[in-house]
Amino acid sequence: MIVAERKPFEEIKESIKDYRKVLVLGCGTCVSVCMAGGEKEVGLLATELRMNAGLEKRDIEIMEATIQRQCDKEYIEPILEQARGCEAILSLGCGAGVQLVAEMLETMPVLPGLNTRFIGITEAEGAWSERCRACGDCVLATFGGICPVARCSKGLINGPCGGNQGGKCEAGGDKDCAWELIYHRLKKQGRLANLRKTAQLRNYATNAHPARQVNEAYQTPEKAGVKS
Amino acid sequence: MSQAKKLMAEVGLEQERLEMFNLGASDAPLFAAACKEMTERARKLGPNPLKEEEASVK
Amino acid sequence: MTTDTYEPKLVAFCCHYCAYSAADLAGSMRLEYPANVRIVKLMCTGRVDTLHLLRAFEDGADAAFVAG
Ligand code: SF4
Ligand code: SF4
Repeated sequence: MIVAERKPFEEIKESIKDYRKVLVLGCGTCVSVCMAGGEKEVGLLATELRMNAGLEKRDIEIMEATIQRQCDKEYIEPILEQARGCEAILSLGCGAGVQLVAEMLETMPVLPGLNTRFIGITEAEGAWSERCRACGDCVLATFGGICPVARCSKGLINGPCGGNQGGKCEAGGDKDCAWELIYHRLKKQGRLANLRKTAQLRNYATNAHPARQVNEAYQTPEKAGVKS
Repeated sequence: MSQAKKLMAEVGLEQERLEMFNLGASDAPLFAAACKEMTERARKLGPNPLKEEEASVK
Repeated sequence: MTTDTYEPKLVAFCCHYCAYSAADLAGSMRLEYPANVRIVKLMCTGRVDTLHLLRAFEDGADAAFVAG
């Protein structure tokens, strides 16, 4: 899932200060699971904003809505009318969600309420960590299901750097050395030979931005350029 | 609980207005004490500024 | 609302099985406690959500507490 965290309250407050009717728009998928932008967080933030405005005697109307996903037009369409009745949208979706909502509303400011961090997993209740950098040329098969691109601080893909300190990365921050994890995993799997092979050249072209993907089988005939 | 207190601070409301008490089914005196304690705190802090705002509007 | 007539309003979130019984008992024991407490009875205080607490204040409670 995409992991995000809420921006500081002061920053959010500042970003909407010129508007008097704001829709706080949540997203029911990734950011709900990482407790940053789901229905509950929308309720909390909207309540906070209303209370703060009340304390500072500012006149502002805060509305709330949460849709299944902000990265699919179909889910945004039903709230367009409500959105157009406001002066600005405060989106609690990830960066992709904010952009699609903004694209569909065009003339209206759509402001981000979250900082989008990474693609990751739930480690434990309330803790998430990065697992994938969407590199477009996955090497997990070779490295025992542990991604050196995302989990090695230096993104080394041909072995450890030599700075491993008792299993921890020399870059600090109490991070596990990805290459030590890879070694132990492959050992358990009896596949240490993978590490003795000469590393394959990586195709960094797959990592070019902005990335786009098309599956013709699912495209409508007009879009695919097929004449019926 | 701690999250609510943190949010209150963010908003600008006194955290002392909120508290948690642990008590059992037979702790009637403790319950009465909790009510008294919170009433005292609310007296000291004065009315909730948000309510005043509403009262003056009406 | 003026300060001389200020009588704080409290919201108590109580667990049905402990704090609510305690409140009930306080009543039958004729213990005196402030009359300005509004009790919200829950099956369990685990149900209390940050949002409930904030909403209590948004709606004008002067203080709130969770008992259970
Ligand atoms: S190798 Fe690339 S695609 Fe595979 S997990 Fe790592 S970053 Fe993601
Ligand atoms: S110590 Fe390990 S994780 Fe850190 S940079 Fe070196 S190889 Fe990567």
